[in-house]
Amino acid sequence: MATLVDTRSARPRPRRQARYTIAIVITVTLILALVASSILNYIYLEPVAGRTSLYGLLAIGLIALLTFVGVRALYRDPAERRRHLIRAFVLLGLAALAWLLLIDVFVFTGSAGPNVAVVSALACLPTTAFGLFVLRYLDRNETEPWRLVLLAAAWGAVVATSLVIWAESLWQTIAIRTLVPGPGLEVSNAFSAGILEELAKGSAVVLLFLVMRNEFDDVVDGIVYGAAIGIGFNFMESVSYMTNLYAIFAPEGVGPYAAGFQWYARQVLGLFFGHATYTAFVGAGLGIARQLPDVRRKLIAIASGFIVAIAAHFAWDAWLTLFPIEKTAIGILEIHLRTLVMTGPFTAGVLALLLLGLHIESQALADQFRKEAATASGAITPDEVPILMNPWQRFRQRVRAFQRGGLRAYFLVSRLQTAQVDLAFERWHRERQELDTPPEVEEEMRRRVVALRRQLPA
Amino acid sequence: MVAAPVDQVRTLYRTLLLYAAISLLILTAGLVEFVYFEPPGHHTGIKATIVGVYQYDPDKNAVTGPDSSTFPRTAVFAAQVDWSSLPSDVVVDARWYDSFGNIVGGVGPATPPELADRTIIPVRVPPGFRHILPGHYLFVVERYEGGVPVEVIGRRLVQVER
Repeated sequence: MATLVDTRSARPRPRRQARYTIAIVITVTLILALVASSILNYIYLEPVAGRTSLYGLLAIGLIALLTFVGVRALYRDPAERRRHLIRAFVLLGLAALAWLLLIDVFVFTGSAGPNVAVVSALACLPTTAFGLFVLRYLDRNETEPWRLVLLAAAWGAVVATSLVIWAESLWQTIAIRTLVPGPGLEVSNAFSAGILEELAKGSAVVLLFLVMRNEFDDVVDGIVYGAAIGIGFNFMESVSYMTNLYAIFAPEGVGPYAAGFQWYARQVLGLFFGHATYTAFVGAGLGIARQLPDVRRKLIAIASGFIVAIAAHFAWDAWLTLFPIEKTAIGILEIHLRTLVMTGPFTAGVLALLLLGLHIESQALADQFRKEAATASGAITPDEVPILMNPWQRFRQRVRAFQRGGLRAYFLVSRLQTAQVDLAFERWHRERQELDTPPEVEEEMRRRVVALRRQLPA
Repeated sequence: MVAAPVDQVRTLYRTLLLYAAISLLILTAGLVEFVYFEPPGHHTGIKATIVGVYQYDPDKNAVTGPDSSTFPRTAVFAAQVDWSSLPSDVVVDARWYDSFGNIVGGVGPATPPELADRTIIPVRVPPGFRHILPGHYLFVVERYEGGVPVEVIGRRLVQVER
């Protein structure tokens, strides 16, 4: 939910400062972890990994700068915001390119070549975009802004993968030199993937929860952001596996099949059933914590989200070999069944939370629409209540506006509806005493809705 | 008296707690599995002597050239183990693992005297392939107890170049 006014001067907000402080502490910790991991890799691992670390730091630095500029951009006046956003997107492009260059040149393309990496990335783009579109569509009461969904996906793709490639390399290097190969080592690697990858991805959801509180309303938003981060991570992991396996199997003449299989397994079967599901649980925990009254329960909810995400990820990695795939036609069926059996229950679990969250959200918004209409403030009229309660009716209202007044009218109605939904969310959170913004914000939002309504053609 | 409405967020919270409880069971099962295959207190201090890893001539079943940790993918290589360096009453095996964790060669499990004439353990080319796959290869000599390998008593890592 977007706070439409800057109320920084209204009154001091100590709680808000506290969560910003936590966000800064987490960010600094992540940077220190990156630096430490990079140095350790440079000393103990092979030269390629050392160079990967150095160039990875460059990419992370750029992403960190992007995040900083992006967040600042959200709290400035429109002209300045535009300038910051352009800066942010340029930096995002540079960071993404730096990372792609990094993994392609130093890790994979030495054998597979940049063309394979580019083709792999292009193959993964449409499926990743489809995944993000579906996520936004699921958030039917109030779709999250693209800038934050893309920022989340970019974190998953670039920052989280950078964090884990070093940490997991260290873990596995130690494990392979100390453990008995076989199930014990597999379980160790599964713990490594589950813990490290979910912490790396989950830290982004935590930062969004702390910094972008106005866009983080409840369990639904948490699931959307978490899954977006998972989809971003899945994109980069898919490209990595596709190029790597292409390079391994190309001399035997089956490189494209190996890469194609990875694409299908990760970008079709695993698009929602893998990382998206795992990190959605982290988001669910944070989203539920957002609406709990006391700190103890908030912390338990956040920890629970992480535990479920780690367990879901661990179960897949550790026990994958319990479902061997035959190298016959029936193997195709087995691959699908394996995904359904192993990850399906977790995906069903996160869907249950999402549906319940949407139900709660819809009921609360309907209640707030009615209450606001009853105040006769002019922000929401009684006639508008049934329309606002139904996303399909809202869409039809926008289409009608388009038929009457073209694209401008469509977007004006869209902005009005968004402002009205935002107002209802603000009222809901205030009623539940979940806000750290001053009451003046709600009145300012109301005035904003009325002002938007005046802009509509009669 | 009218009951206060149930806060549905608490339903979400309790559902998540239920998931977390099941997840803790999953993670505990993982820990139990890890301890079963990596039982603590099973380190005997026994060390197997891996003489080296060499290029392998399958026709003569012999190794050639110097000890190396890097091979081209067109080469076939084998590890050489000195079984006489081990006590005769332990059960051991030797295995090659490729970077996917597949077993691609090995001998045993058996006692060192039973393995005395099998000192050279080559890497197998996967069925249907012309050469071995590139990547890291791990060679281990493992000590068995209760039919399960419980301790690695010799280890070598080899890189096969692309």
